[in-house]
Amino acid sequence: MIAQDKLTHLPERFPLSCQWEITCRCNLRCAMCYTDCFNRPEAIRQELTTAEILRILDELAEAGTLELCLTGGEPLARQDFFQLYEHAIRCGFLVTVFSNGTLITEAHADRFASLPPHCIEISLHGVTRETFEGITLGQGSYDRCLQAIRFLLDRQIPLVLKSTAMTLNRQEILEVKRYVASLGTVRYKLGEEMRPSLDGGEGPFQYALSEQDLAELNRRDPDLWRDACRRDSVELPPCRSGMHRFHIDAYGQLQLCSSNRRQSYDLRQGSFQTGFYEALPAFACDWKIAQEPTLIQPTMHHV
Amino acid sequence: MTPTAIYSRHPDYVQRDVAGECILVPIRRTLTEANSIYVLNETGAALWRRIDGQRTAQDIVTDFCGEYEVATDQLTQDFTSLLDDLLSIKAVEEVTR
Repeated sequence: MIAQDKLTHLPERFPLSCQWEITCRCNLRCAMCYTDCFNRPEAIRQELTTAEILRILDELAEAGTLELCLTGGEPLARQDFFQLYEHAIRCGFLVTVFSNGTLITEAHADRFASLPPHCIEISLHGVTRETFEGITLGQGSYDRCLQAIRFLLDRQIPLVLKSTAMTLNRQEILEVKRYVASLGTVRYKLGEEMRPSLDGGEGPFQYALSEQDLAELNRRDPDLWRDACRRDSVELPPCRSGMHRFHIDAYGQLQLCSSNRRQSYDLRQGSFQTGFYEALPAFACDWKIAQEPTLIQPTMHHV
Repeated sequence: MTPTAIYSRHPDYVQRDVAGECILVPIRRTLTEANSIYVLNETGAALWRRIDGQRTAQDIVTDFCGEYEVATDQLTQDFTSLLDDLLSIKAVEEVTR
């Protein structure tokens, strides 16, 4: 028997890792959020029901999916979150939860501790209330987020804290990083990517840092600078989305990834097996290497 | 391995079949285990599936040898090693009678 942190012998196409945006609901209205445009009652009513999610989870387990990331919106904004989460854990998924932290109470932390996740990733936008709540637009969210972090740390839940660097918080990013380092076992991730809203709105980009500002920020910290240099120096491999990874949105649409929702397969209508092995391979991705053209193209004759 | 001992699989481990591999996922993992999954080889997986809280270790070896062409001594050695590993991560426990 071997203890491993990942599988080594996977077929070229295998549904190992799922990111599932289980809701666009959220208690906050973060300035740069790309799902908030669907955080309204008429859109929420269209989201997958508890029974639908449980059924699809079982299909994923049957297909061999191992890594499951539950994201939103705010996943805990779903009333049935723990029913879904605990089912996923009992199915044997390695579950990661992306959360804003502000809905995690002490009782929730106890539930996480009794069936621990692979990891919880919480967005920590700043180290001051003013900056944090200037982004979340949620009064009291700063204190609730820090409290949730303490609840989870007290219970030794694996935790990652992360920030998106933008004009609203760039002056506090390095302080956030230092704060996270002071917590010991917690990892820090800095994101730089801003995305258009799911309805195509460009709103989030108004807070994006220029390349020059990002470079200046990275230069001020050896870790960030090293990561930035590594990113710049390495030619990115072709996108593997749809090969070992896939995305499901709040309405049951199976997609290549969260950033590419141009084509979907409806898991309300068809099976996951069919969606992954028959529909996904045909979905377009700008980041995939095009098939090598053959030197001789067969000519079709219609007679 | 105590031949007359009976072992049961601990409910805190879920068996997953992922891309042809038999994996044990601990569902009440600690911080240090957070990134570990346990992969069983083919023989290990077949033995794990036979651990049922009813049959003795010797019964399992006998049953296995009746089904596959394998030397009893070698299998006993493999099963002993597997049980040691499974006991060390608390994936199985000895049933008290």
